Amino acid sequence: MLDPSGRALSDFTVELDVYSGPYEWLLALILKDELEIFEVPLHELVSFYLQARNPEALNTLERDTDFAGSAAALVLLKSRTLSPAPADAEDGEEEEISPEQLAEKLTRYLMVRHGAEALRASFARNAGHHPSAHLLPPRPGRLQIDPDRILEAARRSFSRPAEPPVKHLGPITVTLQELASVIHTALVSGPVPYEELVRDMDRLRSAVAFAAALSLAHEGHLRLVQPEPLGPLTLEPAQ
Amino acid sequence: MNETNGSPEPPKAAHLVEAVLLTSARPVGVGALSSASGLPEAAVRSSLTDLARRYSPGKSGIVLRNVAGGYLLSTNPACSAAVERFRDEARPAPLSGAAYEVLSCAIYYGPLTRSAISGVRGVNSDAVVRNLIDRGLLAEVGADHESPGSPALLDVTEELLIAAGASSREDFPSLETLVSEEELARVRKRLRIVGDGSPAELPETP
Repeated sequence: MLDPSGRALSDFTVELDVYSGPYEWLLALILKDELEIFEVPLHELVSFYLQARNPEALNTLERDTDFAGSAAALVLLKSRTLSPAPADAEDGEEEEISPEQLAEKLTRYLMVRHGAEALRASFARNAGHHPSAHLLPPRPGRLQIDPDRILEAARRSFSRPAEPPVKHLGPITVTLQELASVIHTALVSGPVPYEELVRDMDRLRSAVAFAAALSLAHEGHLRLVQPEPLGPLTLEPAQ
Repeated sequence: MNETNGSPEPPKAAHLVEAVLLTSARPVGVGALSSASGLPEAAVRSSLTDLARRYSPGKSGIVLRNVAGGYLLSTNPACSAAVERFRDEARPAPLSGAAYEVLSCAIYYGPLTRSAISGVRGVNSDAVVRNLIDRGLLAEVGADHESPGSPALLDVTEELLIAAGASSREDFPSLETLVSEEELARVRKRLRIVGDGSPAELPETP
């Protein structure tokens, strides 16, 4: 029966040492670098496919084609990964290695490999041990404390909150004293409407100018006159 | 309970050690056992010898293991099938050959960086390392500040020692004993060091 999803190998599963499940997921894991291609024995994949192959099925040709295509891609990927990187060969500056150095490297690798075999045997011998208490249940009446939650709480308690970003504010270019001086100069020729004083100023300077005017009025250097609430504001020299 | 005077009998030293071990899922060192039980270390060691005799594979479904620098009560591997059925859990998927090689690098050359592991194996091992860190068998234990970028240093964990049944790193066979002189001679012969110096047939690589 043809697969309605158009994926002929969607029901093909494999059982490897490093992975067990649908073949398509295996391909996805390899492509996402979650599984190393070296760890996947390609000949076993072929054997699994041949065992699962049903020549009587309607989509046999489609399945064979898909499998041959993906298996060929895996072979190519594995061979490319095992080969030296093309850049190394092209730049012509590949590090020269003497036979003695090569022998030393191979000896080192051989030792590690034998160590790996001994380790595998140790793991196999000890695989059946289960610790005496995997997870102790909380004693009756005691609160069950999740260590991860304690860790998270401690991290929050001891960490400083992040400083808010202030880059968008830009450097401070105006001071109260500077605007007070501007107001003093404007008042030399008589009363000045606030709107006229700040006409060419940006919002920051307007605000600081207002603060400066309030401060000067408080100190008695000028008078603020506003006939009605929210009406026009005029700055007048002090008597 | 002592029936003659009604007061409870003080527990034996081995009983104290046994009780502490029973409640721990991690190996407990002699110092910690001594501290918990209030016994001198010599008494703890003597108790452990008694317990090891009592909890030997031929006598009990529980065994006393000396792993990762401490002592751990575990089920007898001979009973593992029953335990796994009862717990309704499967053993984790076995490690690949590449994974054992990476662990072997960490045991014998660790702590070392990812690139050093790849250097020994001759292939990129980052994916294998990531998998082993996820399984808790490898861990980042510091940084190599002398290398550019201060890459992380990797070393084996207590989990690995427990899984391998090793008390410490010294329990693994030394590197020198792993490869025989004959095998080394074969490698050198294949490389034709004595001949024209051109590498010929190489041993099998991963």
